[in-house]
Amino acid sequence: MKPAPFDYIRATSIDHACALLAEAGGGAQLLAGGQTLMPLLALRMSQPFILIDIGHLPELQGIAPHGGGLRIGAATRQADALVNPLLAQALPVFVTALAHVGHHQTRNRGTIGGSIALGEPAAEMPATAVALGASMTLRSTRGARTIAADDLYLGPYATAIAPDELLVAIDYPAWPADAVPLFREVARRPGDFALVGLVGALAIADGRIERAGIAWFGMGPTPIRARQAEQALVGQAIDRIDVQAIADLAIADSAPFDDGHASAAYRRSVGRRIFANGLMQALDRRLAA
Amino acid sequence: MSAPPISAQRFIGQRVPRKEDGRLLTGRGSFVDDIILPGMLHAAFVRSPIARGTIRSIDTDVARAQPGVHAVLTQADLAPFGVTMLSFFLGPVEVAMTPLADGRVAYVGHPVALVIADDRYLAEDAASLVVVDYAEEAAVVTLDDARLGPRVHPDTDDNVAALMGEEEADAALEALLAGAPHLVSQSIRHQRIAQSPMETRGVVASLQGESELLVHITCAGPQLVARWLTLALDRPGLSVRVVAKDVGGSFGLKNHPWMEEVSAILAAMLLRRPVKWIEDRIENLTAANQAREQEMTLRAAFDTNGRLIASHADYALNNGAYPMGADANIAVHMFLWAAYNIPAYSFVSRGWYSNTPGLAAYRGPWAIETLARETLLDRAARQIGIDPVEIRRRNLCTAADQPSVTPLGIPREDITPAQCLEKLLEVVDVPAFRAEQAAARAQGRYLGLGLAAYIEPTGAAGSIAVMTGELAQLRIEPTGRVVAVMSVHSQGHGTQTTMAQCIADQLGVPIEDVTIFDGDSSRGGFGPGAGGSRQGVIGGGAAIRAGRLLADKVKAVAAHLLNASPEAISLSDGMVHVAGAPEMRRTLREIAEIAYGEPGRLPPGMETGLEAQYRYDPPPMTFTSAAHACIVEVDADTGFVGIRRWVSSEDCGVMINPAVVEGQIAGGLAQAIGSVLLEDAARDAQGNPTAATFKDYALPTIFDVPDFEYVHADTPSQAEGGFRGVGEGGCIIGPPTLVNAIADALAPFGEVPVDLPLTPAKLMTVIEGQPWPERPVSRFHPDHRAPEVDAPAPVAPAVAAVAPAIAVGIDGAWKLVLATPMGPQPMVAHFQVAGDRVTGRLEADQGSQEFTGTLSGDQVRWEMKVTKPMAITLKYELTFAGSSVSGKCKMGLFGTAKVRGERA
Repeated sequence: MKPAPFDYIRATSIDHACALLAEAGGGAQLLAGGQTLMPLLALRMSQPFILIDIGHLPELQGIAPHGGGLRIGAATRQADALVNPLLAQALPVFVTALAHVGHHQTRNRGTIGGSIALGEPAAEMPATAVALGASMTLRSTRGARTIAADDLYLGPYATAIAPDELLVAIDYPAWPADAVPLFREVARRPGDFALVGLVGALAIADGRIERAGIAWFGMGPTPIRARQAEQALVGQAIDRIDVQAIADLAIADSAPFDDGHASAAYRRSVGRRIFANGLMQALDRRLAA
Repeated sequence: MSAPPISAQRFIGQRVPRKEDGRLLTGRGSFVDDIILPGMLHAAFVRSPIARGTIRSIDTDVARAQPGVHAVLTQADLAPFGVTMLSFFLGPVEVAMTPLADGRVAYVGHPVALVIADDRYLAEDAASLVVVDYAEEAAVVTLDDARLGPRVHPDTDDNVAALMGEEEADAALEALLAGAPHLVSQSIRHQRIAQSPMETRGVVASLQGESELLVHITCAGPQLVARWLTLALDRPGLSVRVVAKDVGGSFGLKNHPWMEEVSAILAAMLLRRPVKWIEDRIENLTAANQAREQEMTLRAAFDTNGRLIASHADYALNNGAYPMGADANIAVHMFLWAAYNIPAYSFVSRGWYSNTPGLAAYRGPWAIETLARETLLDRAARQIGIDPVEIRRRNLCTAADQPSVTPLGIPREDITPAQCLEKLLEVVDVPAFRAEQAAARAQGRYLGLGLAAYIEPTGAAGSIAVMTGELAQLRIEPTGRVVAVMSVHSQGHGTQTTMAQCIADQLGVPIEDVTIFDGDSSRGGFGPGAGGSRQGVIGGGAAIRAGRLLADKVKAVAAHLLNASPEAISLSDGMVHVAGAPEMRRTLREIAEIAYGEPGRLPPGMETGLEAQYRYDPPPMTFTSAAHACIVEVDADTGFVGIRRWVSSEDCGVMINPAVVEGQIAGGLAQAIGSVLLEDAARDAQGNPTAATFKDYALPTIFDVPDFEYVHADTPSQAEGGFRGVGEGGCIIGPPTLVNAIADALAPFGEVPVDLPLTPAKLMTVIEGQPWPERPVSRFHPDHRAPEVDAPAPVAPAVAAVAPAIAVGIDGAWKLVLATPMGPQPMVAHFQVAGDRVTGRLEADQGSQEFTGTLSGDQVRWEMKVTKPMAITLKYELTFAGSSVSGKCKMGLFGTAKVRGERA
C-alpha cells in the first residue's frame, strides 16, 4: 500500500500550523511522530490533502513545572519523556504507563501529544491523562482553550479537538510524591494495545485515601474513569479496604466489547481480577513500607 | 569412487557461521524488490471486496485516463494468452481458473483487474478508480458452510475438492473400536494460518527480445518456477529464465506462481515493458493463499494395558476457492500413527472448496496428524489413568519393532522416536516437575508439562514425479577457488553454508574458498526447490558425491603430474599432498591451471578442466524422529500462557551444521507457538478477512519465543552422508507439545478443547467453568437465525438435471478424466457391452490395460490392478447418461477419486 497524494508543509510555528489548519478546512492532518499516521496513510485509511509537519516545533517540546504540576509539550518524544527525571519523580505511574506504549523503536519517534490526540481507547496515554486529571491546551486561529481529559474523549479515535485545533500541551496536576501508583495491563504481546488495562494513583494521608484517580483502557469506546470506585475509595483507611467490592464498582463503570482478540466477558472478568489484585498489592506495599 | 576416511571430514558437524548472514544481516541481500530494470512499470491489483458473486461490469475508463497509467487489464485482455494454471504436481488445476477473475469472484481479494503505471503510487490511485459492479451471493466460508451451502464453483457436483479414504464405515474397525476396553475420541480444530513470509510475494517480469522471458521472483525454487511457467504459458519458442537470489521465507506459500504473479508476467509480455509487482502486507494477509484450516475427529481404542488396538480419523481441510492443487491431505493419514504400533487404522478425508483464499502448503502440511494423535494420547492417559510418558513408551515403535510396515504401508527400518523420548527424559526430570507442579497448585499457580513424539518423512524423491533428485555442479576454477551451482534453493535455510561444508570436506579446501550459487534456473540442474525437508538430505548427498568425483579427478591429475599413485594423493588445506613426500605438495591452483590450460600434461585422453556433476536420488523416504517437552505456567487470573522451558530431542541423523539444525527447529517452534497461542487468519461470516495487518494477525515476537534447549541423536540415515531432513519438524511437533502442556496445567479445571488458537479468552472459560466459546452456526444451517439480507438465491445448476432419455449405448470410446491426488489424469476408455458383461481397454500416458466388468442399468463396474506408483487395485464405478459419464474410482490407500468424461 502506498499513500494517496497529499501536500506536505513543514510548519514554522504554532501560529503557522493553526493558520494552515484553518485554511485546510478539515482536509489536513498533523504529522508529529507519525507512528500511527504513516501506516494509516499507507493503508489509505487516512487521505488528507495536506500533511502539516509540527514534529520539530520547539514550542511543542519539553517537560517543565507548571502551576504546581507538570506541563508536557505535545510533540515531546515518548522516548525522551521516558527518561525525564521530573516525570520520574512527580508522576512515576505515568512513566510506568509510557513504558508500555508501543515498542522501543516506535517510542523513539512517537509523541506524547500524538498518542493523546489519537484517542485509541486501548492505549495507555489517554487513560493516564484521564486518571491523573490532566487537561489539554488547544490552539487555533480562533484562540486558545483548555479542556479536561475527562471531556476530551467521545468515542474510538474521536475527540473533542476540532479539525482546526492543535494540541499544544498537556498539564498534569501535582500528585503527592508518595501517591500509590496503580498500573496493570493485559496485552496479547508486549507492545500490543491492551485487552484490559487500568492506570491510576491514590493519594494517601494519615493512612486514609484522600484522592483517587483511576481509569480503564481497552474497556470501552474511550478511556473510562472508574468513578464509582474512586468515590468509594476516598476517605477509606487503607488497611480496611474491600478490594473485591471496589473492583466490582470499577467494573460497573466499564463498557467492554467483543473483538477478534477477546470477548467483553473476558475483559470484565479479567478486569475485575487485575483491578482487585492490583489494588491489593499496591496497598499491601504501602502498608509494608 | 572411494569414500574418504572419516578423519578427513572437517566441516560436516561443525557450527560453521553462515556464509550468507553478513549480507542478510546488514541489509545487503538482493530480494525481488531490489531489482530495478530500465523502463520498469508497476502493477497494482483491483481486488474483489465480496467473497462470492458475479461481475456485472468493469468500468476502467476513468482509471485508464489517469496520468502515468499505461494499462488497465482485465481477464479479457489476458485470455488470448491461453494460460493453463497448474497445481504443484504440474497438472491443470481441478477447477477452471484464470489469472484474473473471469465473470465470477470467489473470495475477498480475488484479483479482478490489474493497473500498470509508472509507479506503484499512481497504480494504486488508478486502481481505486476502477468501478466494478458485482451481484453478491451468500459466501461459503467455513467447512460447515462448504458442507451445507451452495457450490463455490458452479461447474462442480458439490464442494468436495478431493476425497480419500472410506466414505462408508468399516464394520470390522468399528467393531474393534466399540469393543475395546478404552475408546478415546476427540474433535480438534485448527485455525487458518497465513504463511507470513518476511518477504511478501513479488515478481519483476521482462521480455528479453522475442525468445526469452526473464522472471525475477521470490520463490521456493527457480527451477520449478521455470518449469511451471513454461508449461503454463506453453509458448513455443519462448524460453523462461527465473532468477531468485535471496528469498525472505516461503514456508510453502511460494512453491510456484499464482494468479498475481502470472498476471504481472502477462502484463509485461503484453506491454513489452518490464513490470514489477510487490505484494504489500495487506494483500499478503488477506488475498495470498493460506493454510491449515482443518477439523479432525480422531478415535482410538486401547486395551486394558493402554496399548493401541485401532483408530479412525474423519478429516476435513478447507481448500479455499483455488487451492494450489485440490487436496484431501493423504499424508495426514500416512503418518498419523506411523511412529506407533497400531494394528488397524481407517479414515475418511475430504478437501472442501470455500469462498476463501486457496490452500497453499505450510511447513509440515500434514502436521495436524501429530497434533491430533499426541493430544489424544494425553487425553487417553488422563482417561485411562496412566502417565503420559508411559502411554507413549507402551505404544511407540522401538528398534525391536523394526523393520515393520504400518497399516497404511509405510515401511519403518530406522525410526527412533522412542530413543528420542528416552534421551529427552534424561534432560527433563518429570518426577521433579510433578513435585514442583503440586507445590505450585497449592499456591494457586498452574504449571503444566507437555510431551509429544513424532516421525517425519524427509528428503523424498522419486515417489512423486515432481519431487526429483537434486544436482550439484562443481568446478575448481583455475584460481583454485571452488564454485558450485546447486539445484537446491535457500529461502533462508543456510544452504550456501551447509552445501559448502559438504563440498569443502571432499575437496580439502577452506570453506571460504567454496561459493554456492543457487538462484538462477539457467544454471545448474533441475530441482523442485525447497520443500519436504529435502535440501540437506538430497542436496547434501549431491554435493558430497559431486565433490568425491571431482576429488578423484584432482587426484588422477596430480598423480600423473607428480608421478605418484592416485592412492598416495590426499587433499587438504587447498593443497595436494603426496604421502611420504611433503616436498612434492602443490596448491590446488597449480593443479587447476594445468588442468585447464595445459592439456598436454594431463593423462592421455583425459577431459581438460576440473569439473564434475552428480544428480543424487536418495532412498524413497528418510525419516526424522523427535520428542519434545515443554513446561508452561498458565496465569489463572488472565488465561495467559508463559513458556518456562522447552526441550527438543531430535534425531536428524548426521548433522551438517548443528547451528543450522537448531535454527530450523527454533523457527518451526516459533511458528508452532504462533499457531497455538496467537495467529488466526479468520474470516467473518461474509468472508471478509478480520486480520488484515500485523496488529491483528498476531505473530509471535521475540517476547513470546523462549530459548530452546536441544538434545541431538545422530542415527545415520541410509542416504549419502547419513543426513535426515529437519526443515519442518519444529512446526509439526511444536503444537501438540504446547497444547499438552497447557492442558496439563489446567487439568484441575477440566479438559481444554483443542480448538486453536488457545487465546487467553478461551482458556479463561476453562478456568472459570464457563462454556467454551461456540463458533457461529453456518448461515446455511437450518438453525441459523440471523436475518439474511444479503443472500440472494444460489446460482442455478450449470448442468442439466435430466439427461436425454435415449441412451445411445456405451459401446465405443470415451474420454475420461480421473481426479487423482497428484492432479487430473486424462484417459481414453473403450467399452464393448455383451449382455451384462463389459470388456474394455483403458489408455493413459503410462500405457494401456484391458479389463472386464459388469453392466447394471446404466452403471458399469470393473476392477483392475496397477503396479505404479504402487501395487493397488482400482475399482471403477461409472454411470452413463447420454453422451456424458461420471462416477468414481476407488484407489486403495489413495482413497476415492472422481471420474468424469464424455464421448470421444
